[in-house]
Amino acid sequence: MGSVEQHFPVPHRSFSVEIKGNKTDVVISGYNDHILVIATQIGTMGTMLQARKEEGMTSEPTFHVSVIFGKRDEPMLTACARQLIEHMSSSGSARPLVLSLGLKDHSMETLKGVVSYVLENRIW
Amino acid sequence: MDSTTSPQQENDAGGLQVHCFTDVVDELTLHFQIIRLPKQIYAWIGCNSSKMGHLYAAAHTRPSEGVSVSCVLGGSSDNPGAGIARRIVLKSGLNVILASNIPKNSPMIEANAERKMMEKLVQLGYTRPRSEPSSFMINPTAGEIHR
Repeated sequence: MGSVEQHFPVPHRSFSVEIKGNKTDVVISGYNDHILVIATQIGTMGTMLQARKEEGMTSEPTFHVSVIFGKRDEPMLTACARQLIEHMSSSGSARPLVLSLGLKDHSMETLKGVVSYVLENRIW
Repeated sequence: MDSTTSPQQENDAGGLQVHCFTDVVDELTLHFQIIRLPKQIYAWIGCNSSKMGHLYAAAHTRPSEGVSVSCVLGGSSDNPGAGIARRIVLKSGLNVILASNIPKNSPMIEANAERKMMEKLVQLGYTRPRSEPSSFMINPTAGEIHR
């Protein structure tokens, strides 16, 4: 797996894994105000989503996930972003997530794989 | 795979090429990050901070020769990032996703950042070769660069 770059003000981690037989390139960048995760199998950034924690009235955190570019009718992509932002929030990170998914298939197995590898290599 | 670190970081570990560098222009620190995807380029320009800023997508829109820019996250069409994204597409021929926190109404910062970005893209071989130099005119009022 890639190591974290820290000399540059934006640490990032870049690595490549195989998910369901498809080579998947992943880059995770930690900006001051966002975490950017790019996971691609198709050579482009694909569909982009934003996920953020919302301060609610209840003690349980709520999250807002929206597609900001690309396919808006793929619920599995939204679920992937939701999982990641929940993990980020539970680990203490308050930064919103920008998630870019360029995947050949949107199966649960693929998206679970993406979530797993991103969490394994998290930089927050 | 381990990646190497240097003042100009170029991490080829794991597939995607990630290039990070910093430049000081007119006492301003500009940070650049370029991620080369097979069919697209993601770039970030940070002006004195590591905030991601606004996000833009730009690409040629056929059948016309024009370039369309969309504000993906925050920002507006008169933000520096929108103009820079459009001109990078014009010069590189690639689809570009650009993040930038360059403040509005900063034409010199915009011009310097764009120039540095293009220099790097040419150096990396990501752009088409230019057969002859073009002349640029900067409109300081609107912050636009005209060819």
